[in-house]
Amino acid sequence: MPNTGDMPVPESPAKTRLTFSEVQVGAGIPRAGKAAGNPYLPEIATIVEIIQETPNIKSFRVRFDDDLLQAAFAFKPGQVGQLGVLGMGEATFAINSSPSERSYVQFSVMQAGEVTIGLHCLNEGDKVGVRAPMGRGFPVEEWKGRNLVYIMGGIGAAALRATILYTLEHREDYGSITILYGARTPVDLTYQYDIAEWESRRDIDAVITVDAPFPGWEGRVGMVPMVLEELAPKPENTIAVCCGPPIMIKFTLQALQRLEFPNEQVYTTLEKRMKCGIGICGRCNVGSKYVCVDGPVFSLAELKELPDEL
Amino acid sequence: MRFLPEGELAGLLAALSQEAEVWAPARRPNGVVEFQKWEPGTAVELAVLLARQAPKEMVFPQTETYLGYRYLMACPAVRPETPEEAKLELEGEGGEVVAVSPSVSHQLLVVEDVGGSSPTRADVAGVELPGTGARVIFGLRPCDARGFAQMDNVFGGYGGFYFDPYYNARREVTTLVAVACANPRSTCFCRAVGGSPSGTEAVDLLLTEVDGGFGAEAVSERGQRILDYAGFREARAEEEQAVAAAHARAEEAVEAPFELEGVRENLRANFEDARWHDLALRCISCGTCTYVCPSCYCFNINDEMVEGRGERFRCWDNCFNPGYTLETSGHNPRDAKAARFRNRFSHKFWYYPEKYDSLLCSGCGRCIMHCPTRIDIREVIRTMGAPAAELPARAEEE
Repeated sequence: MPNTGDMPVPESPAKTRLTFSEVQVGAGIPRAGKAAGNPYLPEIATIVEIIQETPNIKSFRVRFDDDLLQAAFAFKPGQVGQLGVLGMGEATFAINSSPSERSYVQFSVMQAGEVTIGLHCLNEGDKVGVRAPMGRGFPVEEWKGRNLVYIMGGIGAAALRATILYTLEHREDYGSITILYGARTPVDLTYQYDIAEWESRRDIDAVITVDAPFPGWEGRVGMVPMVLEELAPKPENTIAVCCGPPIMIKFTLQALQRLEFPNEQVYTTLEKRMKCGIGICGRCNVGSKYVCVDGPVFSLAELKELPDEL
Repeated sequence: MRFLPEGELAGLLAALSQEAEVWAPARRPNGVVEFQKWEPGTAVELAVLLARQAPKEMVFPQTETYLGYRYLMACPAVRPETPEEAKLELEGEGGEVVAVSPSVSHQLLVVEDVGGSSPTRADVAGVELPGTGARVIFGLRPCDARGFAQMDNVFGGYGGFYFDPYYNARREVTTLVAVACANPRSTCFCRAVGGSPSGTEAVDLLLTEVDGGFGAEAVSERGQRILDYAGFREARAEEEQAVAAAHARAEEAVEAPFELEGVRENLRANFEDARWHDLALRCISCGTCTYVCPSCYCFNINDEMVEGRGERFRCWDNCFNPGYTLETSGHNPRDAKAARFRNRFSHKFWYYPEKYDSLLCSGCGRCIMHCPTRIDIREVIRTMGAPAAELPARAEEE
């Protein structure tokens, strides 16, 4: 699989087993240096900057220790990576820096379990292990010429940030762009630095909302799905991309249905417990699809085809 | 067809063990038959049809460490005083230092390649891995061999999927010498899943036990090379007939307890059916079925660290474990036992076939033999793989 971030397309199974030499020549697993040909070995990277986004979310900007790898690192918006602390384990996080950012790769981590606590304990200069990019990103090429509505809740913004940055960098390729972002309180809004820029831009609509009135908050108040219905984007030639906590996704999808968005025009990105990240270890399946290689991005139409086991 | 007189078996194994590590089913002092490393004098046990466990761990070990690392605190008062000193020390021990960084935490991370089965770039280029020399698995059954073929699809990098260097390093140097089944058990159902007691899928050399020795048919070039052993002679006509008769007899003895046609579609249609709960009721989520299965391959990856020294390893996992899919948020997509139960059978007869156009079951029946609550995969497929309209009514509905 060349490092284009394309979804691997299963062909009919080969009749004989591949050998090491064939794999080197043919499949070209996207790993560099030490881990060439071995998708299990993490690349060692150094944390160059930590941003405290909210009380429990930190963004880590990391740089691969291998300069060649850092220079060659390419990914598609929406792809994910395994970020880990040696000794604590690995977990899957969305890559949320812009694909055009060459000097670092950014992940945002909410402190929740063992690995994330381990990550939150790290300082700038500490080492992490990274296996990336993985999975299938958003079809931003296909979306050219269409209007985009990003609908995000809380930490869900991490999964869409790279895509938003990408489409803003290629602003002329897309129609209108709307960003609807909500969190429980103003304190829980991540990427304040982006929000300030989005709100100041005149070529996009940025709507920031919080769930309930909050001292000092003068912006919009209301749950994301309700605000979405108030905004009432037209489904014609429009792609809706949503990510957030399950309850928010559930009501957002219902709202989109009321707004008459066809399933093919609604995208989301899934989360599952993952280990190998390369479609082998077997735990992130939904039916015959593996979220790690067939996803994490799915259109609602694709999701409707899968067994109801999300 | 070639023929190996009975008295030549030990000679053949001795000859094979000159060039490779030979593993064969043998009886342990406690009576259990397991695949063991063959040494001169080891009696190969073929009368028990199946070894307790399929020989999948020959290529896919239960636990496999693939990354080693250590953290050191560089401290002026105690050795090592500086990161540079620690690096020298480690290199002196033979560890390959991948990254050394004195950070603001004053912690020093050193990543070492652990020996054993960790392929490095050199290994991928074709250099033999330590501990993964040539191996011959002798005396496995056609269903066991088929398990390898089914795992090959997953680990082999087919259709653009990833190639697993650990599995393939061993698989590439493993030769399978299968012995056709003479007396299938009542739990055998290889024919129902498209196999045969004398099947040759993934087999290099197939032996068939008849009076006086073994009929031998090479399936691959590797198998052909084994036939060069001087103990083989050309089979006589009556021996060839005896082999054919043995195959036919065994074929007849294996029942086909369900029809494969339509199973995938019916499993999909019955996904929400409440009978999954009935069938899963007595399951205790122990996972024995997955561990004895020749084709169950799901694994976990974990880190373990003691006093600054750590390892990252993968080990067999089983989808009946509630923690298998438990997410950090507390959400579990398969939190009901019935959902986990459904996943195993659906994986074997629906998800895997959809991906690889083959089945993830070779009909060995070990899961039936070893299940502590007598759950029978044949019954599960007969029930849930049948059209919804033909399903028997549920007890509580009657």
